[in-house]
Amino acid sequence: MKRNVSDFLLEINVEELPASYVRPALAQLKEAFIEKLSRERIEHGEVRVFGTAATLLCYVKDMQLRQKELSQEIIGPPKKIAFDENGNPTPQGIGFAKNQGVDIKDLKIKQMPKGEYVFIVKKIKSKPAKEVLRGLMPEIVKSIGFPKTMKWDDSGVRFARPIESIAVLLDKENVKIKLGNVPAKFIKGASAGAYLKKLENAYMLDQDKRKIEIEHMIKAVQKKLGLDEYADKNLLEETNFLVKSPVLIIGDFDKKYLAIPKDVLAASMSKHQRVFTLSKNNKLINKFIAVIDGKGRSMAKMKKQYANILEARLKDSLFFYNEDIKKPLSDQTPKLKDLIFQKDLGNMFEKIQRLEELSSFISERIGIDTANKEDIKRAAYLCKSDLVTQMVGEFPSLQGVMGMEYALKSGEKKSVAIAIKEHYLPKGMDDSLPETIEGAILAISDRVDNIVGFLGSGIEPKGSFDPFGIRRNSQGLIQILNHKSIRLELSGLIKKAIEVYKGKLKISQEELEKKVLNYIKERLEFLAPDTRPIELKQAVLKSGCNDIVSVFKRVEALSEISAEKYFLKAAKVCERTSNILKGAVGAINDRPLQINDVKEELFKEDLEKEVWMAYTANNVAIKNLIKEERYKEATKAYGEAFFEALHRFFDNVLVNTEDSALRGNRLAMMQAINKLYTNDVADLALLPQIIIR
Amino acid sequence: MRKLSFQEVVEKLNKFWSDKGCLIVAPLDIEVGAGTFHPATFFKSLGKEKWRAAYIQPSRRPCDGRYADNPLRLQHYYQYQVIIKPTAPDIRKIYLDSLKALGIDLKAHEARFVEDDWESPTLGASGLGWEVWLDSLEITQFTYFQQVAGIELDLVPCEITYGLERICMFIQERFNLFDLEWHNGVTYGDIHKQHEIEYSKYNFEEASIEMYSKMFEYFEKEANRLVDLGLVYPAYSFVLKASHAFNVLDARGAISQNERPRYIARVRGLAKRCAELYLTAPSNFTN
Repeated sequence: MKRNVSDFLLEINVEELPASYVRPALAQLKEAFIEKLSRERIEHGEVRVFGTAATLLCYVKDMQLRQKELSQEIIGPPKKIAFDENGNPTPQGIGFAKNQGVDIKDLKIKQMPKGEYVFIVKKIKSKPAKEVLRGLMPEIVKSIGFPKTMKWDDSGVRFARPIESIAVLLDKENVKIKLGNVPAKFIKGASAGAYLKKLENAYMLDQDKRKIEIEHMIKAVQKKLGLDEYADKNLLEETNFLVKSPVLIIGDFDKKYLAIPKDVLAASMSKHQRVFTLSKNNKLINKFIAVIDGKGRSMAKMKKQYANILEARLKDSLFFYNEDIKKPLSDQTPKLKDLIFQKDLGNMFEKIQRLEELSSFISERIGIDTANKEDIKRAAYLCKSDLVTQMVGEFPSLQGVMGMEYALKSGEKKSVAIAIKEHYLPKGMDDSLPETIEGAILAISDRVDNIVGFLGSGIEPKGSFDPFGIRRNSQGLIQILNHKSIRLELSGLIKKAIEVYKGKLKISQEELEKKVLNYIKERLEFLAPDTRPIELKQAVLKSGCNDIVSVFKRVEALSEISAEKYFLKAAKVCERTSNILKGAVGAINDRPLQINDVKEELFKEDLEKEVWMAYTANNVAIKNLIKEERYKEATKAYGEAFFEALHRFFDNVLVNTEDSALRGNRLAMMQAINKLYTNDVADLALLPQIIIR
Repeated sequence: MRKLSFQEVVEKLNKFWSDKGCLIVAPLDIEVGAGTFHPATFFKSLGKEKWRAAYIQPSRRPCDGRYADNPLRLQHYYQYQVIIKPTAPDIRKIYLDSLKALGIDLKAHEARFVEDDWESPTLGASGLGWEVWLDSLEITQFTYFQQVAGIELDLVPCEITYGLERICMFIQERFNLFDLEWHNGVTYGDIHKQHEIEYSKYNFEEASIEMYSKMFEYFEKEANRLVDLGLVYPAYSFVLKASHAFNVLDARGAISQNERPRYIARVRGLAKRCAELYLTAPSNFTN
């Protein structure tokens, strides 16, 4: 029997792609194949992708050699229009058949909801897969997107690097395709499967296997030498796309370079030379592992060259380090006047002046000891000074880390030094947070200064594009406040941050405050744990997000009790009072309701007196529970105090009476009850309809 | 095999690239930061004319001076520049052959192409390519130009810039620049050490800020005036002088972070004017 499926292979040979481009390109390649083959009705088995920096390969198992046939029903006019009573075709019937290119006798009849209709079955011709692939392959290759692309000849084809050749193999047959001037690579005498095997034998084609293998090799060496077993994740991923047949070189360097701070050593080694550092009990030792490509090299010579080059680099780092420590860190600070912060926001020296003020403000607000307060102020003065050192000029990623090193060398207090390092934390979503209160306060100051400054000069994130990190800063701010349980009124902090810019900002204070709070709120919604029901988070946020710690506490507490009957009762109280108050703003002589609008002498019904008694008897206790952040108990007390009384009240008393004084009185009472809870805990009226069984 | 001297490396590269159809042109006699500034690269990258050239170019980066204390840094060093326009499909193989011609054993050692997209903000030039590493030593910048003077290029040139000192370090296995053998036992240090020390002192401590500030203004004005007169090469020479004056001011710490981008934009603006002038009258400027 003639086979109707074959394995298929596309091989794109390209001049070395940036390491970070390969994985996303492979993912796109796979996705494009699956999507486009399905569009073209070519059925197939498993789709796998393989890659190195120089080869992107897609392998499709059991590809059908022909497109799937497609038959399509085309509905024509109703039967009674296409045929007369005698069953003879009418001009309309003949016309339909003619238009579709079929004979009258091919017309079929079908029962449709609206009656009997004429239809035909049209077969769409299937083409051989080979023919379809010819058009499809260039389309797929071009569909791969990269962060940056280039052209290399006059064909206009763009790719991340020049494409050297493309091979397309359907079983044993080379399929010719046309993509710019890219030459075809002809594979002689091998089926797709055999060719893939051949490549796999020649080098480690599979990126995942290769990565595991490299990691395994590194850890085996570490184990053998009695060292810490770890491999830098980022370097491992990059290395994986710099080599295809990994071989290790274990080298060493002069011990004297261990005097260089650990982070500098690590940066020189793993970032600049792309070699793995080695450590014992978490302390770096004077050895390294280089992953090179291919066997049969002169290992002894390469080892010597790697070590020589590393030492030359380290000599460079040691030079910077020694230059930098010639002067105390505080000598660098005035140079910040030459360093721009942002073009509309002045220089870095002005920034640290603001940070001094802001951190002092925070210290005072949260009641920090005088001694610590001085440390925080000192750290604020020094926190950006490492930006003008030679070492950070050379290794920008070491900002903060060098600041700490140099502060210690300059005889600054340890708490000051640590705060300098910590004020950059967290750098990203999953990064560690400041542990010291000094570091946390400085980190908060820096973030709020960034957010206020950028938003205040008219910069805003657009979609996912947030070059100034406004969202990242907001997120960090929330994380730090929550992590260190710092109780700070956000609106006061933002006001202060605007004030210390001294009129440099373009946007009005009021508008800016709102904007900043909105960004923080948006991030808060993202960061706070999910609740059940999901609307609960919204309900909590609506009752204020001025105090981040309280938001998290309320979300957690209410989530835990959201299935309790007393919670549902409390929610019902919020819902009913909220409903009656809707549209009742300005209920008394067009001014908002006040609590002292409730006048006991106006009460007419016993039931309203009963409700009011529930209020006067419980409001102080409930307020106190809220104040003490005993949210579960507060919710319970609230639900139990009002649910039954309100139920009877609403069943028997009409709030919106004709008598406006009476109406106002009753609405004021409803508002007092509503606000008692929703002001500071959560507006539970936002939950979906509450049903109490 | 005896290890090649610095001088011999240059000779070998001249021979190699001459055999590949490159004109061996003389270095530019104006202070420049890199071989890219030479008209043989800057202007010749523009337009539809085919072009192949190679040359050694003494280059100056005043900020990189280290008083001859640092084994890897110099404020005056040498680039070997190759420009192939349009690029050839096998250009990387040819390049690797040039390393072999220098006696580098690429089976024993590893040449690695590591992503590095080159950019010169002052020339408004950018491209995609790599740093070439030889056993982790960066020896070459390899770039497919996409833009020069902010102008998209018609024919994509390939620029290969060898760091001559780095290659010699590798070949001679000496990892201090000043110990490299220039030729016949004379070292790089013998020729350049005093020069480095004095120029480091000059660039960082002694260069007259007042004079260079004024000169920058003069050079800029003159470059503009000459573009107006249609004198493209003299105009361009003043762009280069302005660029160097800016580099000295920068090393001298006389340019604040606020001003820096503006200086760069001014030089780039001049370079762009020259490039546009060059393109308007190409027939005047072919060999």
